[in-house]
Amino acid sequence: MSEPLNDDPRVDQAKSSDLGVLDAHERLLGRHPDDGARYRLLPIAILFTLSGLILFAGTYLNRYTAHYSGVVFDENQKPSSGAPVAVKIDPVAQGKTQFNAVCITCHQATGTGVAGIYPPLAGSEWVNGPSSRVIRIVLYGLKGKVTVTGKDFGAAAMPVFGQVAGSAYNWSDEKIAAVLTYVRQEWGNKAGPVTADEVSAVHKALGDRKEFSEAELQDVK
Amino acid sequence: MKSNVIFFLGLVAALGISWGGIVMGSNAQLGGLAPFYDDSQSNAFPQRMPGIAAQGQLVYKGLGCAQCHTQQVRRPGFGSDKDRGWGDRQSVARDYIYQPAPQLGLSRTGPDLANLADRKPSAPDASDLLNLLYSGANGMPSYRFLFETRAVGVGAQPSEKALKLVGALEPKAGLEIVPTPDADALVAYLLSLSTPYVYPEAVPFTPPKAEGETGAAK
Amino acid sequence: MSTTSEYSPTDAASRWPLLLLLIKGIGWLVVSGIFALIASIQLTTPNFMAVCPVFTYGRTVAIAETAFVYGWLANAGLALALWVLGRLSGEPLRAQNWALGGAIFWNLGVFAAVIGIAVGDATGFPLLELPRYVQLILFFSYAAIAIPGLLAWAGRLRRVSFASHWYAAAALFLFPWLLSIAHVMLFSAPARGVVQPIIAGWYAQSAWTLWLAPLALSVGYFVVPKVTGKVLPSYEFASLGFWCLVFVGGLTGGRHLLGGPVPAWIPSVAVVSCALLFFHTFVVLLNLRGAFSLQGTALKFIAFGIFAYVAGAVMDAVTSFHAVALHTQFTYFDEAQKQVALYGAATTILFGGVYFALPRITGKAWLSPSLVWAHLSLSLLGVMLLVVSLCAAGATQSHDLLDVTVAFSTIATDTRGALLGATAAYGLLLLGNICFLANFYGTACEILKISAPATFAEPEALETHAS
Repeated sequence: MSEPLNDDPRVDQAKSSDLGVLDAHERLLGRHPDDGARYRLLPIAILFTLSGLILFAGTYLNRYTAHYSGVVFDENQKPSSGAPVAVKIDPVAQGKTQFNAVCITCHQATGTGVAGIYPPLAGSEWVNGPSSRVIRIVLYGLKGKVTVTGKDFGAAAMPVFGQVAGSAYNWSDEKIAAVLTYVRQEWGNKAGPVTADEVSAVHKALGDRKEFSEAELQDVK
Repeated sequence: MKSNVIFFLGLVAALGISWGGIVMGSNAQLGGLAPFYDDSQSNAFPQRMPGIAAQGQLVYKGLGCAQCHTQQVRRPGFGSDKDRGWGDRQSVARDYIYQPAPQLGLSRTGPDLANLADRKPSAPDASDLLNLLYSGANGMPSYRFLFETRAVGVGAQPSEKALKLVGALEPKAGLEIVPTPDADALVAYLLSLSTPYVYPEAVPFTPPKAEGETGAAK
Repeated sequence: MSTTSEYSPTDAASRWPLLLLLIKGIGWLVVSGIFALIASIQLTTPNFMAVCPVFTYGRTVAIAETAFVYGWLANAGLALALWVLGRLSGEPLRAQNWALGGAIFWNLGVFAAVIGIAVGDATGFPLLELPRYVQLILFFSYAAIAIPGLLAWAGRLRRVSFASHWYAAAALFLFPWLLSIAHVMLFSAPARGVVQPIIAGWYAQSAWTLWLAPLALSVGYFVVPKVTGKVLPSYEFASLGFWCLVFVGGLTGGRHLLGGPVPAWIPSVAVVSCALLFFHTFVVLLNLRGAFSLQGTALKFIAFGIFAYVAGAVMDAVTSFHAVALHTQFTYFDEAQKQVALYGAATTILFGGVYFALPRITGKAWLSPSLVWAHLSLSLLGVMLLVVSLCAAGATQSHDLLDVTVAFSTIATDTRGALLGATAAYGLLLLGNICFLANFYGTACEILKISAPATFAEPEALETHAS
């Protein structure tokens, strides 16, 4: 049977019937004759390929999925150990944000305050002085007359910012430390930073109390 | 395969695995994502877009803008996204939780738009965008049908919203080109596109440096 | 009834639903080709037809894709799946009116989808641009069309099933699930935020691996042994290849979300799945390599299709690694890879199937040999030109994108030459498909005339040893 079977492009001839296809492949999957006991390499090659791909898959998944974490977006990142990561925030930047949100309304963006009402922060001896005083001012507030850079202020009280009874702000010790750090290096002030531990120490020692007055603060070293 | 039932169950299992894993797994991780509350700013991020911007997203979707523009910034090491000013950090899932139809896009025939309102040195403003939509650019079609050419009434002032065009595109005397509500919504949407907040999960990951001396503990 | 003769009454009895599906499919192919040509022109001449909102680029691309996938691939794939299942069952298709009704409503649905996209209701999801209101029509129509196929599979003459059975049954069964899950989770009760693109990606990848590729492969597995007269080599592994495709296919969902705003495990699982899918492709190549004997029209198409299928799988796997994706992501490479799969592989294999099936369905040979040759050469040439042009455009684009100093208008100018090549390719493909449509229509009309029937050689017994 050597006639050219498929030379008419308009009709494709089939060399086997439909049921022939089914039957032949069924026979193939059953016991197939062992022709000449030839060892067939192909199954080994296929198994090898599949095993190799599965090994690659497992290794890749182990390395690049961060244990299927929902918060890891960079595949190079390892999964977190579970401990909360302390995100390093620049205290000056954070303090600036807070200052601009709240303190700026009274002390103004230039830190000069309003004459007679709100004391300035720029060049203030209170800001540049010992940190124990400014910590107390922000934590517990200040009421009554106070002299800053030779001028008197007393018309408005400094509100209570710390987590103290009667406070409308309830800022954490970290926030107070941040805003003080910012203020002490802005507008020409050159005082050192304030740490959250210092604020916490003061807060713990004094607990809840009413606002300070200037006289009480001047006793503080 | 001899048994129809086993075959059928195999298909169900196969579909179930990919559906359960990819679809429901990601939904479990991200479907209930809440905004992140920042104590120091006393605000939650991301913020919702204004209503007109949400309408604008539907206009964006209906016009098929996502065919040429993406809205997903890749991390700084992966491509030139950061260097082109498209964003300082990788876009994360939380950036999209308040978008009714996130348009991530698949192709960058045009620039990425995820932080269009935050572009440095200067972000485009409404008139820039309207002019661009009207005139098109090399590689971007014009969208004249988003605008209406109408007559300025006799003795009347031109509308405040009329486009200021020069050269060949300038309308004839006595006519003005004003944006339709679709154009206004689209521009409002584009101007709302910004993801400035750095969530804890969005902090760029820097691989730890291998210490030379102490690395001998292998 | 005699089942050894090549042209049997079973085919004549099942003729009408199949012819309806095929003529509509080829019609949609031409329509999609026109829109794809317009879209390609718009890439180099952005203002071409941009005055009319219907032809704005975003909508033109969406219409071309919808008409291609849900018009051409779905209709032709379903027709051939029903035909193959029918022939392997040894009986005429039962419940044909369901298929007929389903075909009519499916195509009405696709028409409504195209109109909907034209007026701005596209969904923005790749491969699922169908407007929401159309999806339920398509779901029920598909179920109606699938009924004869599933009945033919369940009630088949021999208890044994063949590879074509598995692939066709998988495609018939799985697609409604994919569509309904996508419909519920994207439109009825939309998921929040970035979960939508994840689901859309899962749908798109599953539509290719679990629906369109199986439709094409069931045709390939049927036609190749019939024409070559030999048992498929390495057929023992065919079931392994099938299950690999079905289990791993859906997991490639995050393929296009590399570096995106999704947890890293989703694209990593996709990368791994693309590599595993290469095993399935390898098995398909081993089984269907008899097609490269190129006997007859069908095998010429199918051989090219198998080659493109393998090339597409390799491209997919290679470009999924991050180091390569850095250069290829978001460029015309992605488009090239999509065309290799949808046009180069699926469409070409379905062309082969149609060329093989139509003389058996109508009893008449194809009308014009020159149109057959025209279609063959224009299609193969067109696909190769398209892929090479898009890859060239992608290479230029990726090089320019990574260079910060290059503005986007410059990128448009740089890629212009390659994109003109792609436009020429779309033109060639459209021309070839118009020849195909004309030839098909002429051949189908021959049924009404009294003309010479096609002559079929008597099939021999199948050789049981693969050479």
